[in-house]
Amino acid sequence: MFGCVDSCVLAGLDVRLVRVEADIGRGNDHRFFLVGLAATTVKEARERVRSAIRNSGLEYPTTRLTVNLAPAELRKEGTGLDLPIAISIVLARAHRPAPPRSAFLGELALDGSVRHVDGVLVAARGLRELGFERIFVPAEDAAEASLADGLEVIPCESLIAVVNHLLESGVIAAASPRPGTIALDSPLEHDLVEVHGQEEAKRALEVAAAGGHHLLLSGPPGAGKTMLARCLPGILPPLELGEAIDVAQVRSLLGELPRDRPLDWARPFRAPHHGISMAGLIGGGGGLAMPGEISRASHGVLFLDELAEFQTPVLQALRQPLESGRITITRSGGSVTYPARFTLVAATNPCPCGWSGDGVRACRCTPGAVDTYHRRLSGPLLDRIDLQVSVRRVPLEALASEPRGETSAVIRERVMTARARQLARQGCLNAQLKPARLRLLATLPAVSRRTLERWSVQRGLSARGFHRAWRVARTSADLDGLDEIGEQHVLEALGFRLQDVAA
Amino acid sequence: MGSRRPSPYGEAVAEQLGLELARAGVVVISGLALGIDAAAHRGALNAGGVTVAVMGTGVDVIYPSAHSVLAEAILSGGGALVSQFPDGTAPRRHNFPARNYTMAALSDVVVVVEAGEGSGALITAEAALDLHKEVMAVPGSVFSPLSVGTHGLIRDGAGLVQNARDVLMVLHLGAEVLDDPLAAPAGLGIKLPAERDGILFHLSDVLALNASEIARKLQLPIADVLGRLTSLELEGAVKRHQGGYVRALRRGKDRA
Repeated sequence: MFGCVDSCVLAGLDVRLVRVEADIGRGNDHRFFLVGLAATTVKEARERVRSAIRNSGLEYPTTRLTVNLAPAELRKEGTGLDLPIAISIVLARAHRPAPPRSAFLGELALDGSVRHVDGVLVAARGLRELGFERIFVPAEDAAEASLADGLEVIPCESLIAVVNHLLESGVIAAASPRPGTIALDSPLEHDLVEVHGQEEAKRALEVAAAGGHHLLLSGPPGAGKTMLARCLPGILPPLELGEAIDVAQVRSLLGELPRDRPLDWARPFRAPHHGISMAGLIGGGGGLAMPGEISRASHGVLFLDELAEFQTPVLQALRQPLESGRITITRSGGSVTYPARFTLVAATNPCPCGWSGDGVRACRCTPGAVDTYHRRLSGPLLDRIDLQVSVRRVPLEALASEPRGETSAVIRERVMTARARQLARQGCLNAQLKPARLRLLATLPAVSRRTLERWSVQRGLSARGFHRAWRVARTSADLDGLDEIGEQHVLEALGFRLQDVAA
Repeated sequence: MGSRRPSPYGEAVAEQLGLELARAGVVVISGLALGIDAAAHRGALNAGGVTVAVMGTGVDVIYPSAHSVLAEAILSGGGALVSQFPDGTAPRRHNFPARNYTMAALSDVVVVVEAGEGSGALITAEAALDLHKEVMAVPGSVFSPLSVGTHGLIRDGAGLVQNARDVLMVLHLGAEVLDDPLAAPAGLGIKLPAERDGILFHLSDVLALNASEIARKLQLPIADVLGRLTSLELEGAVKRHQGGYVRALRRGKDRA
């Protein structure tokens, strides 16, 4: 007696099809063989499947049972194969064929109920690409699976419900498809209107948001660097559908997707502590790597407070994702690639004690210590941050008299207009323009070019630094709604370069 | 002597004093450290004068190493590198107070340019008083932490230095050898189109103001102010300092 159904396992964001075959033999030895390179979590499925079938009131084979997971050379991990294994056994006993173009995913409890598994959204999208039309998933993951458009999603409460559905055809209603429209514009948690003063930093945030530029905030403790960084998602446009799905996929893999609201239109904001390991930041783990903070921050903001306190190798590892917007990690189980297109906001004290340049407290650092501190920051990473700005502490008593300025919503309007200009012109944000396209699409009038060149010579700018200032000038002009980069735009861009020290 | 991390104002004063005093034939003694020390040496060298560096390391160990060029220039200008420590002595924190004492002993007058509270320069001033040497101090802004020490010295009776002539008087050297030492410049020494000058008059040469503060004073959009400041920076009229902007002072040869 033979039965088979389809399922899958995940390798990062890739989906590998797995065919689960069950054969009920004649031998009277009661044994259950599970073959096909199953990892420990999958091997344990035998115990769960046996109990779940019995406790669902179904008949469990009394003869020799063999389950094969094909292809046999692919290593299988995770608990999502419980449900397909059980279904294949039931179908074998019932002499029923596999339902066409359908796949199963779910963990079984011993009482036969179906439990959540991670990565359902990723699996659903992958299976749709492979030509599947129907997917059976744990009921609590149905909303998540529905995000993969064009797939019938059958929510599974329990094994017996699924069996009845298959044998008596269609008793479970398919989950409702994904809502077509972007719903809410929820009130912002952090609004720039609450930040008093700090116009320089606010302007830098606006330019960063408009052009997709990375940003460094330098200032003493209590200057409001963290608050400023937290305001950045609020002046970015809400996620596009594709971006929201990208974000949900990473969360799905990590099992961090909220059940009731799988699709979130707000930009992610991640602020890992400076003690974070390489694996925590860029992704890692045994076998196949899991996504790290940079992938969680994709399409959003990665905030690194106390930049100088991060381990140097950890910071160096950011270089590839900063350039390419993705990260490829190789572990024993193979290579996986995750999205990592985030806006980096880094914050640092101006010196080790933090008080250099503060009007009230004096800095006690030796010149040597300050030098060492800056050297740790400089180099390849700082070179990739387009905008750098000093943030000063506003004394408490002066806070009330500081002007409040604009709301995030007003700034976001300007940001969205500037972004639309860029996308219409070049199909990407200014920060992602390669030098060749920059020369083609962001021509510099003679006066502007002369100013930029004069600064480059005076401050010994690298070619990379030259192009970065050029891109920021392009964004500044876009915010003004101008096609031509004026001298004032170049000058503003250069004003956001803290590291260029006059010789 | 003075702070190793002076304001542009302090640096400019030290360099100018070094220049004027050396021009009057005074030997300028300082400690080869960063900041005020280096500025004083540089000023003396710019005047073609003789300057002596009293070191806290062996004379063969230049500290900070970035000053090896300066040390070379001091020697070729007919000056000297002096140390009470044997050759090969590495920089050690506890050696520097002894060096400061020696520096005071070698001098006739000690001039403190900028020194915060508890600064090493104040220890030298104490030593100078013990040795019955004259101590003088340059005033600064009452808002600047770097003036706390020097103002304290003046309050305690140190002579006030406004220009090189004040120092020369104490040294009993004729003031008439100088034309017009450290005279306040008639303008800011920089010619700019009128519309840019506005920002300059709102800037201090000691205390850094940031672009937000300037924008508010001038009621101008921040993007505009950032651009203007950068343009002034390109002209050499302003400098970045401690996360803000200060007026750049034309120093030494530039000003003379």
